[in-house]
Amino acid sequence: STSSMLSKQKDKSAASKDGSPEGAAKKQEDGAGTPKQQLLDIIGDMKVEVSYRKKLQQLKASESKKQAMAKLEGPDSEGSVPQGVTEDTQRGKPLNPELVKAASAVASSLPRNKKQTESELLAQLRRHEETTDQQKKGGIINIRNVISEMTIKRQSPAQRGTRTSRRISLQLDEDDKRLRRERSSALSMDSRSLKVGKRLNIFTKASTEPEHALETVSSPTIWDLEFAKEVAAVTAQPPRNGFEEMIQWTKEGIMWEFPIDNEVGMEDDAEFHEHIFLEKHLEGFPKEGPIRHFMELVICGLSKNPYLSVKQKVEHIEWFQKYFEEKKELLQEI
Amino acid sequence: MAAAALSWALRAARQVLPSPCPGQVRSYYVDWRMVRDFKRRKVAYEHADERLRINAIRKNAILPKELQEVADKEIAALPRDSCPVRIRNRCVLTSRPRGVKRRWRLSRIVFRHFADHAQMSGVQRAMW
Repeated sequence: STSSMLSKQKDKSAASKDGSPEGAAKKQEDGAGTPKQQLLDIIGDMKVEVSYRKKLQQLKASESKKQAMAKLEGPDSEGSVPQGVTEDTQRGKPLNPELVKAASAVASSLPRNKKQTESELLAQLRRHEETTDQQKKGGIINIRNVISEMTIKRQSPAQRGTRTSRRISLQLDEDDKRLRRERSSALSMDSRSLKVGKRLNIFTKASTEPEHALETVSSPTIWDLEFAKEVAAVTAQPPRNGFEEMIQWTKEGIMWEFPIDNEVGMEDDAEFHEHIFLEKHLEGFPKEGPIRHFMELVICGLSKNPYLSVKQKVEHIEWFQKYFEEKKELLQEI
Repeated sequence: MAAAALSWALRAARQVLPSPCPGQVRSYYVDWRMVRDFKRRKVAYEHADERLRINAIRKNAILPKELQEVADKEIAALPRDSCPVRIRNRCVLTSRPRGVKRRWRLSRIVFRHFADHAQMSGVQRAMW
Protein backbone atom coordinates (compact mmCIF):
# COMPACT_ATOMS: atom_id res chain seq x y z
CA SER A 1 0.00 0.00 0.00
CA THR A 2 2.81 2.36 0.84
CA SER A 3 4.53 1.74 -2.45
CA SER A 4 1.39 2.47 -4.41
CA MET A 5 0.80 5.66 -2.46
CA LEU A 6 4.26 7.04 -2.84
CA SER A 7 5.47 5.76 -6.19
CA LYS A 8 5.37 8.46 -8.87
CA GLN A 9 7.93 7.23 -11.29
CA LYS A 10 9.32 9.37 -14.09
CA ASP A 11 11.29 8.46 -17.22
CA LYS A 12 14.70 8.95 -15.71
CA SER A 13 14.00 6.63 -12.84
CA ALA A 14 13.72 3.72 -15.22
CA ALA A 15 17.13 2.57 -14.10
CA SER A 16 16.15 2.77 -10.46
CA LYS A 17 12.96 0.85 -11.23
CA ASP A 18 15.06 -2.15 -12.13
CA GLY A 19 17.32 -1.67 -9.14
CA SER A 20 14.81 -0.89 -6.40
CA PRO A 21 12.34 -3.77 -6.72
CA GLU A 22 15.30 -6.12 -6.55
CA GLY A 23 16.59 -4.26 -3.58
CA ALA A 24 13.17 -4.27 -1.93
CA ALA A 25 12.81 -7.97 -2.55
CA LYS A 26 16.23 -8.61 -1.04
CA LYS A 27 15.40 -6.63 2.05
CA GLN A 28 12.11 -8.37 2.50
CA GLU A 29 13.86 -11.69 2.27
CA ASP A 30 16.25 -10.71 5.06
CA GLY A 31 13.43 -10.71 7.60
CA ALA A 32 10.66 -8.18 7.81
CA GLY A 33 9.99 -9.14 11.41
CA THR A 34 12.04 -6.46 13.15
CA PRO A 35 10.64 -2.95 13.06
CA LYS A 36 13.92 -1.63 11.78
CA GLN A 37 13.72 -3.86 8.73
CA GLN A 38 10.17 -2.69 8.20
CA LEU A 39 11.34 0.89 8.32
CA LEU A 40 14.09 0.18 5.84
CA ASP A 41 11.54 -1.50 3.59
CA ILE A 42 9.31 1.55 3.73
CA ILE A 43 12.22 3.84 2.89
CA GLY A 44 13.26 1.59 0.03
CA ASP A 45 9.74 1.59 -1.34
CA MET A 46 9.47 5.34 -1.25
CA LYS A 47 10.21 7.07 -4.53
CA VAL A 48 11.52 10.59 -4.42
CA GLU A 49 9.82 13.13 -6.68
CA VAL A 50 12.43 14.88 -8.75
CA SER A 51 11.54 18.26 -10.22
CA TYR A 52 12.33 18.97 -13.87
CA ARG A 53 14.96 21.62 -13.14
CA LYS A 54 16.80 19.36 -10.77
CA LYS A 55 16.68 16.60 -13.34
CA LEU A 56 18.32 18.86 -15.93
CA GLN A 57 21.03 19.86 -13.48
CA GLN A 58 21.65 16.27 -12.54
CA LEU A 59 21.76 15.29 -16.20
CA LYS A 60 24.40 17.93 -16.86
CA ALA A 61 26.38 16.91 -13.82
CA SER A 62 26.27 13.26 -14.77
CA GLU A 63 27.37 14.07 -18.34
CA SER A 64 30.29 16.15 -17.14
CA LYS A 65 31.31 13.44 -14.72
CA LYS A 66 31.11 10.81 -17.43
CA GLN A 67 33.35 12.95 -19.62
CA ALA A 68 35.80 13.38 -16.79
CA MET A 69 35.79 9.69 -16.09
CA ALA A 70 36.33 8.95 -19.79
CA LYS A 71 39.31 11.32 -19.85
CA LEU A 72 40.93 9.68 -16.86
CA GLU A 73 42.79 6.45 -17.38
CA GLY A 74 41.16 3.21 -16.43
CA PRO A 75 43.16 2.37 -13.30
CA ASP A 76 42.71 5.92 -11.98
CA SER A 77 38.93 5.79 -12.03
CA GLU A 78 38.94 2.39 -10.41
CA GLY A 79 41.42 3.49 -7.82
CA SER A 80 39.47 6.60 -6.85
CA VAL A 81 36.58 4.67 -5.33
CA PRO A 82 38.63 2.50 -2.97
CA GLN A 83 40.78 5.55 -2.16
CA GLY A 84 37.66 7.38 -1.04
CA VAL A 85 36.64 4.39 1.03
CA THR A 86 40.01 4.20 2.78
CA GLU A 87 39.94 7.94 3.44
CA ASP A 88 36.52 7.60 5.02
CA THR A 89 37.54 4.71 7.22
CA GLN A 90 40.70 6.47 8.32
CA ARG A 91 38.76 9.44 9.63
CA GLY A 92 37.80 9.21 13.28
CA LYS A 93 35.62 6.46 14.68
CA PRO A 94 33.35 4.33 12.45
CA LEU A 95 29.68 5.20 12.14
CA ASN A 96 26.83 3.32 13.74
CA PRO A 97 26.08 0.33 11.49
CA GLU A 98 22.34 1.00 11.84
CA LEU A 99 22.79 4.53 10.58
CA VAL A 100 24.87 3.18 7.70
CA LYS A 101 22.09 0.77 6.81
CA ALA A 102 19.52 3.55 6.93
CA ALA A 103 21.72 5.74 4.74
CA SER A 104 22.11 2.98 2.16
CA ALA A 105 18.35 2.44 2.15
CA VAL A 106 17.73 6.14 1.53
CA ALA A 107 20.37 6.21 -1.19
CA SER A 108 18.76 3.30 -2.95
CA SER A 109 15.43 5.12 -3.01
CA LEU A 110 16.87 8.14 -4.84
CA PRO A 111 16.99 7.94 -8.64
CA ARG A 112 20.56 9.22 -9.03
CA ASN A 113 23.94 7.50 -8.69
CA LYS A 114 23.37 5.23 -5.71
CA LYS A 115 27.01 4.83 -4.74
CA GLN A 116 27.68 8.52 -4.97
CA THR A 117 24.65 9.52 -2.95
CA GLU A 118 25.45 6.88 -0.38
CA SER A 119 29.02 8.10 0.01
CA GLU A 120 27.82 11.70 0.26
CA LEU A 121 25.23 10.78 2.88
CA LEU A 122 27.80 8.86 4.88
CA ALA A 123 30.22 11.77 4.69
CA GLN A 124 27.52 14.13 5.95
CA LEU A 125 26.64 11.77 8.79
CA ARG A 126 30.27 11.52 9.73
CA ARG A 127 30.68 15.27 9.79
CA HIS A 128 27.54 15.57 11.93
CA GLU A 129 28.87 12.97 14.35
CA GLU A 130 32.23 14.69 14.55
CA THR A 131 30.73 18.05 15.37
CA THR A 132 28.35 16.60 17.95
CA ASP A 133 31.20 14.69 19.58
CA GLN A 134 33.39 17.76 19.73
CA GLN A 135 30.59 19.85 21.14
CA LYS A 136 29.87 17.22 23.76
CA LYS A 137 33.50 16.99 24.82
CA GLY A 138 33.85 20.74 24.58
CA GLY A 139 36.80 20.36 22.26
CA ILE A 140 38.27 22.85 19.86
CA ILE A 141 36.90 22.41 16.36
CA ASN A 142 40.11 21.80 14.51
CA ILE A 143 39.85 23.70 11.26
CA ARG A 144 42.53 21.51 9.75
CA ASN A 145 40.24 18.50 9.89
CA VAL A 146 37.54 20.40 8.09
CA ILE A 147 39.73 21.78 5.35
CA SER A 148 42.04 18.79 5.19
CA GLU A 149 41.64 18.49 1.44
CA MET A 150 43.23 21.87 0.82
CA THR A 151 47.02 22.00 0.60
CA ILE A 152 48.69 23.98 3.31
CA LYS A 153 51.60 26.14 2.24
CA ARG A 154 54.62 25.74 4.43
CA GLN A 155 56.74 28.75 3.47
CA SER A 156 55.16 32.13 2.95
CA PRO A 157 56.80 34.54 0.50
CA ALA A 158 57.05 37.13 3.29
CA GLN A 159 59.33 34.88 5.25
CA ARG A 160 61.49 34.32 2.20
CA GLY A 161 61.76 38.07 1.67
CA THR A 162 62.94 38.71 5.22
CA ARG A 163 65.43 35.90 5.04
CA THR A 164 66.99 37.25 1.88
CA SER A 165 67.12 40.74 3.37
CA ARG A 166 68.85 39.41 6.47
CA ARG A 167 71.35 37.58 4.34
CA ILE A 168 72.09 40.76 2.44
CA SER A 169 72.55 42.80 5.59
CA LEU A 170 74.83 40.21 7.18
CA GLN A 171 77.15 40.01 4.20
CA LEU A 172 79.43 42.47 5.93
CA ASP A 173 80.19 40.01 8.74
CA GLU A 174 82.60 37.20 8.47
CA ASP A 175 81.49 33.99 6.92
CA ASP A 176 81.34 31.98 10.16
CA LYS A 177 79.29 34.50 12.02
CA ARG A 178 76.95 34.97 9.06
CA LEU A 179 76.15 31.27 8.90
CA ARG A 180 75.40 31.06 12.61
CA ARG A 181 73.23 34.16 12.55
CA GLU A 182 71.28 32.84 9.59
CA ARG A 183 70.50 29.70 11.49
CA SER A 184 69.55 31.58 14.64
CA SER A 185 67.49 34.08 12.66
CA ALA A 186 65.69 31.22 10.92
CA LEU A 187 64.98 29.63 14.30
CA SER A 188 63.75 32.90 15.76
CA MET A 189 61.47 33.41 12.76
CA ASP A 190 59.98 29.98 13.31
CA SER A 191 59.72 30.44 17.05
CA ARG A 192 57.66 33.60 16.62
CA SER A 193 54.92 31.85 14.70
CA LEU A 194 51.29 32.14 15.72
CA LYS A 195 50.82 28.52 16.69
CA VAL A 196 53.38 28.58 19.48
CA GLY A 197 52.45 29.47 23.01
CA LYS A 198 49.79 28.70 25.56
CA ARG A 199 46.21 29.15 24.49
CA LEU A 200 44.15 31.74 26.31
CA ASN A 201 41.02 29.56 26.15
CA ILE A 202 38.73 32.53 25.77
CA PHE A 203 36.26 30.94 23.40
CA THR A 204 36.74 27.33 24.35
CA LYS A 205 36.08 25.56 27.59
CA ALA A 206 39.31 25.66 29.57
CA SER A 207 40.62 22.12 29.62
CA THR A 208 41.63 21.09 33.12
CA GLU A 209 45.19 19.98 32.35
CA PRO A 210 47.32 19.36 35.40
CA GLU A 211 50.36 21.36 34.54
CA HIS A 212 52.39 20.22 37.50
CA ALA A 213 52.17 16.84 39.18
CA LEU A 214 50.40 17.01 42.54
CA GLU A 215 52.57 15.94 45.44
CA THR A 216 50.86 13.27 47.46
CA VAL A 217 50.49 14.36 51.07
CA SER A 218 50.15 11.57 53.60
CA SER A 219 47.29 13.18 55.54
CA PRO A 220 46.64 16.92 55.77
CA THR A 221 46.25 17.69 59.45
CA ILE A 222 43.57 20.00 60.76
CA TRP A 223 46.18 22.63 61.44
CA ASP A 224 47.31 22.53 57.84
CA LEU A 225 43.75 22.98 56.65
CA GLU A 226 43.18 25.85 59.03
CA PHE A 227 46.38 27.51 57.90
CA ALA A 228 45.42 27.09 54.28
CA LYS A 229 42.02 28.63 54.98
CA GLU A 230 43.58 31.60 56.76
CA VAL A 231 46.02 32.19 53.94
CA ALA A 232 43.22 32.06 51.40
CA ALA A 233 41.13 34.49 53.45
CA VAL A 234 43.99 36.98 53.65
CA THR A 235 45.10 36.74 50.05
CA ALA A 236 41.54 37.12 48.81
CA GLN A 237 41.53 40.90 48.84
CA PRO A 238 38.22 42.64 48.11
CA PRO A 239 37.89 43.19 44.35
CA ARG A 240 39.47 46.38 43.15
CA ASN A 241 37.11 46.85 40.23
CA GLY A 242 34.04 45.42 38.53
CA PHE A 243 36.02 42.92 36.50
CA GLU A 244 37.56 41.30 39.55
CA GLU A 245 34.17 41.20 41.21
CA MET A 246 32.75 39.35 38.20
CA ILE A 247 35.70 36.95 38.24
CA GLN A 248 35.01 36.20 41.88
CA TRP A 249 31.34 35.64 41.22
CA THR A 250 32.13 33.29 38.33
CA LYS A 251 34.39 31.26 40.59
CA GLU A 252 31.70 31.03 43.24
CA GLY A 253 29.13 30.01 40.65
CA ILE A 254 26.89 33.06 40.98
CA MET A 255 27.62 34.20 37.44
CA TRP A 256 27.49 32.07 34.34
CA GLU A 257 30.54 31.50 32.21
CA PHE A 258 30.75 33.45 28.96
CA PRO A 259 30.35 32.61 26.07
CA ILE A 260 27.16 31.09 27.39
CA ASP A 261 26.95 27.36 26.96
CA ASN A 262 23.32 26.34 26.65
CA GLU A 263 24.04 22.78 27.68
CA VAL A 264 25.69 23.30 31.05
CA GLY A 265 24.69 20.55 33.44
CA MET A 266 22.85 18.70 30.71
CA GLU A 267 24.71 15.53 29.84
CA ASP A 268 22.43 13.49 27.66
CA ASP A 269 24.64 10.99 25.90
CA ALA A 270 21.76 9.26 24.16
CA GLU A 271 21.22 9.45 20.41
CA PHE A 272 18.03 10.83 18.93
CA HIS A 273 16.73 7.42 17.96
CA GLU A 274 16.86 6.25 21.58
CA HIS A 275 14.46 9.02 22.50
CA ILE A 276 11.96 8.45 19.72
CA PHE A 277 11.85 4.72 19.01
CA LEU A 278 10.73 3.40 22.38
CA GLU A 279 8.84 0.35 21.15
CA LYS A 280 11.59 -2.01 22.26
CA HIS A 281 10.72 -1.23 25.89
CA LEU A 282 7.18 -2.47 25.28
CA GLU A 283 8.19 -6.12 25.24
CA GLY A 284 6.80 -6.93 28.67
CA PHE A 285 3.27 -5.97 27.75
CA PRO A 286 0.60 -8.10 26.05
CA LYS A 287 0.47 -7.55 22.34
CA GLU A 288 -3.23 -6.84 22.05
CA GLY A 289 -5.87 -5.28 24.17
CA PRO A 290 -6.52 -1.98 25.88
CA ILE A 291 -3.28 -2.04 27.86
CA ARG A 292 -1.22 -2.17 24.69
CA HIS A 293 -3.26 0.64 23.20
CA PHE A 294 -2.73 2.70 26.34
CA MET A 295 1.02 2.05 26.39
CA GLU A 296 1.40 2.96 22.75
CA LEU A 297 -0.21 6.32 23.52
CA VAL A 298 2.18 6.73 26.45
CA ILE A 299 5.12 6.03 24.18
CA CYS A 300 3.86 8.44 21.56
CA GLY A 301 3.71 11.15 24.21
CA LEU A 302 7.16 10.32 25.58
CA SER A 303 8.74 10.41 22.14
CA LYS A 304 7.58 13.99 21.75
CA ASN A 305 8.87 15.04 25.15
CA PRO A 306 12.19 16.90 24.93
CA TYR A 307 12.48 17.56 28.64
CA LEU A 308 12.98 14.05 29.97
CA SER A 309 16.15 12.04 29.66
CA VAL A 310 16.13 8.53 28.23
CA LYS A 311 16.54 7.05 31.73
CA GLN A 312 13.50 8.87 33.01
CA LYS A 313 11.43 7.70 30.06
CA VAL A 314 12.50 4.10 30.61
CA GLU A 315 11.66 4.40 34.31
CA HIS A 316 8.23 5.73 33.40
CA ILE A 317 7.53 2.71 31.21
CA GLU A 318 8.91 0.29 33.82
CA TRP A 319 6.65 1.76 36.50
CA PHE A 320 3.65 1.01 34.33
CA GLN A 321 4.92 -2.48 33.74
CA LYS A 322 5.20 -3.14 37.49
CA TYR A 323 1.80 -1.63 38.10
CA PHE A 324 0.05 -3.77 35.53
CA GLU A 325 1.81 -6.89 36.74
CA GLU A 326 0.55 -6.29 40.24
CA LYS A 327 -2.96 -5.90 38.90
CA LYS A 328 -2.78 -9.04 36.75
CA GLU A 329 -5.28 -10.97 38.86
CA LEU A 330 -7.76 -8.15 38.65
CA LEU A 331 -7.31 -7.93 34.92
CA GLN A 332 -7.82 -11.66 34.44
CA GLU A 333 -11.15 -11.47 36.25
CA ILE A 334 -12.34 -8.99 33.65
CA MET B 1 57.55 32.85 67.58
CA ALA B 2 57.37 33.56 63.91
CA ALA B 3 54.34 31.29 63.47
CA ALA B 4 52.48 32.99 66.31
CA ALA B 5 53.18 36.42 64.89
CA LEU B 6 51.99 35.28 61.46
CA SER B 7 48.72 33.86 62.81
CA TRP B 8 48.06 37.06 64.81
CA ALA B 9 48.63 39.11 61.69
CA LEU B 10 46.25 36.89 59.73
CA ARG B 11 43.51 37.22 62.35
CA ALA B 12 43.88 40.98 62.43
CA ALA B 13 43.68 41.12 58.65
CA ARG B 14 40.54 38.96 58.64
CA GLN B 15 38.72 41.34 61.01
CA VAL B 16 39.41 44.20 58.66
CA LEU B 17 37.59 42.45 55.79
CA PRO B 18 33.89 43.23 56.05
CA SER B 19 31.36 40.49 55.29
CA PRO B 20 30.05 41.47 51.87
CA CYS B 21 26.39 40.64 52.57
CA PRO B 22 24.00 43.60 52.57
CA GLY B 23 20.46 43.34 53.95
CA GLN B 24 19.07 40.87 56.46
CA VAL B 25 20.20 37.34 57.09
CA ARG B 26 17.27 35.15 58.11
CA SER B 27 17.85 31.79 59.70
CA TYR B 28 14.20 30.93 60.51
CA TYR B 29 10.82 30.65 58.81
CA VAL B 30 8.52 33.57 59.37
CA ASP B 31 5.64 31.58 60.88
CA TRP B 32 4.28 28.05 61.25
CA ARG B 33 2.07 28.38 58.22
CA MET B 34 5.20 28.92 56.15
CA VAL B 35 6.76 25.80 57.68
CA ARG B 36 3.70 23.73 56.81
CA ASP B 37 3.71 25.10 53.27
CA PHE B 38 7.37 24.11 52.93
CA LYS B 39 6.55 20.56 54.14
CA ARG B 40 3.73 20.29 51.64
CA ARG B 41 6.01 21.35 48.79
CA LYS B 42 8.58 18.74 49.75
CA VAL B 43 6.04 15.92 49.93
CA ALA B 44 4.35 17.01 46.71
CA TYR B 45 7.70 16.91 44.92
CA GLU B 46 8.38 13.39 46.17
CA HIS B 47 5.03 12.01 45.03
CA ALA B 48 4.67 14.05 41.85
CA ASP B 49 5.68 11.27 39.42
CA GLU B 50 3.42 8.69 41.04
CA ARG B 51 0.47 11.02 41.00
CA LEU B 52 1.03 11.81 37.34
CA ARG B 53 1.10 8.14 36.39
CA ILE B 54 -1.92 7.13 38.47
CA ASN B 55 -3.87 10.05 37.08
CA ALA B 56 -2.92 8.96 33.56
CA ILE B 57 -4.59 5.63 34.32
CA ARG B 58 -7.64 7.27 35.85
CA LYS B 59 -8.37 9.88 33.20
CA ASN B 60 -8.70 7.38 30.39
CA ALA B 61 -11.30 6.14 27.98
CA ILE B 62 -9.36 3.03 26.99
CA LEU B 63 -8.63 1.08 30.16
CA PRO B 64 -11.42 -0.88 31.90
CA LYS B 65 -13.40 0.91 34.59
CA GLU B 66 -12.51 -1.56 37.32
CA LEU B 67 -8.86 -0.68 36.87
CA GLN B 68 -9.69 2.99 37.08
CA GLU B 69 -11.65 2.48 40.32
CA VAL B 70 -8.68 0.71 41.83
CA ALA B 71 -6.45 3.61 40.74
CA ASP B 72 -8.91 6.03 42.38
CA LYS B 73 -8.53 4.24 45.68
CA GLU B 74 -4.75 4.21 45.32
CA ILE B 75 -4.45 7.90 44.76
CA ALA B 76 -6.74 8.58 47.72
CA ALA B 77 -4.42 6.48 49.86
CA LEU B 78 -1.44 8.74 49.17
CA PRO B 79 -0.61 11.30 51.91
CA ARG B 80 -2.86 14.30 51.84
CA ASP B 81 0.03 16.73 51.58
CA SER B 82 1.23 15.17 48.35
CA CYS B 83 -1.28 16.93 46.16
CA PRO B 84 -0.01 20.16 44.59
CA VAL B 85 -3.33 21.91 45.10
CA ARG B 86 -2.53 22.38 48.77
CA ILE B 87 0.51 24.52 48.04
CA ARG B 88 -0.05 28.23 48.50
CA ASN B 89 2.38 30.73 46.98
CA ARG B 90 3.09 32.79 50.05
CA CYS B 91 5.24 35.88 50.27
CA VAL B 92 8.80 34.85 50.90
CA LEU B 93 9.54 37.58 53.43
CA THR B 94 6.27 38.08 55.28
CA SER B 95 4.37 34.83 54.57
CA ARG B 96 1.37 36.79 53.35
CA PRO B 97 -0.97 34.42 51.46
CA ARG B 98 -2.69 37.05 49.36
CA GLY B 99 -1.45 39.81 47.08
CA VAL B 100 1.73 37.95 46.10
CA LYS B 101 3.31 38.64 42.71
CA ARG B 102 4.63 35.40 41.22
CA ARG B 103 7.67 36.86 39.50
CA TRP B 104 9.17 38.22 42.68
CA ARG B 105 7.52 35.88 45.22
CA LEU B 106 6.85 38.97 47.35
CA SER B 107 3.67 40.43 48.72
CA ARG B 108 2.54 43.76 47.35
CA ILE B 109 3.54 45.68 50.45
CA VAL B 110 7.10 44.37 50.58
CA PHE B 111 7.42 44.81 46.84
CA ARG B 112 6.39 48.43 47.11
CA HIS B 113 8.77 49.01 49.99
CA PHE B 114 11.78 47.68 48.10
CA ALA B 115 10.84 49.29 44.82
CA ASP B 116 10.57 52.70 46.44
CA HIS B 117 14.01 52.29 47.97
CA ALA B 118 15.37 51.38 44.51
CA GLN B 119 16.29 47.86 45.60
CA MET B 120 14.34 46.08 42.88
CA SER B 121 16.32 45.80 39.68
CA GLY B 122 14.51 47.18 36.67
CA VAL B 123 11.40 48.30 38.55
CA GLN B 124 10.30 51.87 38.18
CA ARG B 125 7.23 53.86 39.19
CA ALA B 126 4.75 53.88 36.35
CA MET B 127 3.95 57.17 34.78
CA TRP B 128 2.30 57.62 31.42
